[in-house]
Amino acid sequence: MAPERVAVRDRAAVLRRADHRLLRVAALGGLLVLWEALTRIGWIPALFLPSPLGVVRELGEMAASGQLMIHIAASLRRLVLGFGVGAAAGIIVGIATGVFSRAEAVGQPLIAATFPIPKIALLPLLILWLGIGEPSKIAVIALGVFFPMAINTYAGVRQADPLLVRAAIAFGAGRWSVIRKVILPSALPMIFAGLKLGAGTALLLLVAAEMIAADSGIGFLVLHAGNIMDTTRLMVGIVCLSVLGVLSQWVLTRCERLAVPWRHT
Amino acid sequence: MIVLVLILGVVVLAAGVSSARADSAVKIGALKLSSSAPLFIGVDKGFFKEYGIDPELVFFQAAAPIATALATGQIEVGATGITAALYNIVLGGEQLWLVADKGREWPGYPLTGIVVQKELYDGGLRQIADLKGKRIGITTLGSTFHYSLGNILEKSGLKLEDVRVVPLQTMPAALEALKGKQVDAILLPQPFPGTAEGQGFGKILFWAGDLHPWQTVAVFYSKKFAADRQRAVAFMKGYLKASRYYYDAVLEQKDGRSAPGSHYDEVVGITAKYTGARPEVIRLGFPFQDRNARLLVTDIERQMAWWTEKGFMKRTIPLKGIVDTSFVEEAAKAVPEK
Repeated sequence: MAPERVAVRDRAAVLRRADHRLLRVAALGGLLVLWEALTRIGWIPALFLPSPLGVVRELGEMAASGQLMIHIAASLRRLVLGFGVGAAAGIIVGIATGVFSRAEAVGQPLIAATFPIPKIALLPLLILWLGIGEPSKIAVIALGVFFPMAINTYAGVRQADPLLVRAAIAFGAGRWSVIRKVILPSALPMIFAGLKLGAGTALLLLVAAEMIAADSGIGFLVLHAGNIMDTTRLMVGIVCLSVLGVLSQWVLTRCERLAVPWRHT
Repeated sequence: MIVLVLILGVVVLAAGVSSARADSAVKIGALKLSSSAPLFIGVDKGFFKEYGIDPELVFFQAAAPIATALATGQIEVGATGITAALYNIVLGGEQLWLVADKGREWPGYPLTGIVVQKELYDGGLRQIADLKGKRIGITTLGSTFHYSLGNILEKSGLKLEDVRVVPLQTMPAALEALKGKQVDAILLPQPFPGTAEGQGFGKILFWAGDLHPWQTVAVFYSKKFAADRQRAVAFMKGYLKASRYYYDAVLEQKDGRSAPGSHYDEVVGITAKYTGARPEVIRLGFPFQDRNARLLVTDIERQMAWWTEKGFMKRTIPLKGIVDTSFVEEAAKAVPEK
């Protein structure tokens, strides 16, 4: 006897979320086309919002003349150094305060007290202490990255599964073994979350840091173009910052996939 | 997508429509400097009110934002240094008009001073050539100080690349940077150089005007204000009267020495009141401007050529596209010489 076929409507289909890759690209492309059209017909004055094609042209000119590379290199140097210093310090302090109760007693109030201070407000002080050169710029970025890192690392360490820790101890692991093999790997997801947060903060502070006594850098480019009302160049700088932001998040996500493979299976 | 279009539409409306002013209050963007003295005189002594204009002074920290505020319709009249930003605003399609003189770097009259660290001066830094390799603080690139510095260096055989130009964003910040020895020299307008010398941490090496005279400060009108011919001319009449009062009180010179007029102390007092600087500092000198507020039009062309050469402007603007001397001429005919 042939099996009966009964048509069944999949009522759960509404819950499924498709990727809509084409729509994503089309939306962005459509916005750019609309923007270009509006500037062409003169609805938006060129001064207020430069046309996308004009921005691309300016970007090309700057890339060809090598100017763009100089600015990007200067900014990247500050970002990498500041981020590196801030993240390293933040992770160390976060682990220390998370693992050792005395460190927590000393560190937590200090972090809580200094975290809310806007780092941009500290910039003039840093310039007074470290001068108007690179150190003050790297320092302000490092400070901005330190706090999310310290706080997130601390949280990551504290939320390590106590069962796993006890199991390790039960199997004879010493304190440092437990830290290295159980607590740290457990904290990695939160550490990476902190790194991504820190990357965004670093870019923000880069622009603020390059406001004072800089002669190169993407932040400097943005501010200088703003000062002389060259809005096309301003947009080039903003596009670069945006690309830097997207790239940094993508790089960190790839690193996370490598370092924390168990989270994405 | 519809939402995006709506948002864009709001942005366009906000950008394109300038706020309507039902009253005749005229917002004047200016800086708290000695060079704004004619404006202070006009406001304080009611010269603008005499011609039916109700003036409202709006103070800024630097010159370039004043040009921006004018382009976006937040103020009607700007009275500040002519910067690269101002030229780029016109190049970008927003019309504004340079209409009157409000200050020139001029030999014998202090406006912008090159102030060096007292220690460096005592140590022998006496000439512009000695500035080679030094850190020079200015407000921003593209400012009047940048222009003065560049031209003064060129006259001494140096280039901008031979010094380290340090942008510090605001004038007080530049003063602090000199005080804190983070820069070796600064270029700032009166009364800041006087303050630096008075407080003992700076020494005025030269006045920029003695080395490179140029049309530095101007009164400019927004497109909308200039189109309101009656009010625009009325404002200019009040300004002209103030300009003459200012000139007669503080700018007269006999045999190369300052010959203060009868209202000198009054003008010093008014300037001190609005700038907050001490009178002794203001008495060091006032910036020069034409008695009848006439612009040095040929210098405008020279400035645009210099900025274009340095890459701050894409191309120059034809003079008739940015300068309008008709207001000053009309006011000069209407206001009787006293």
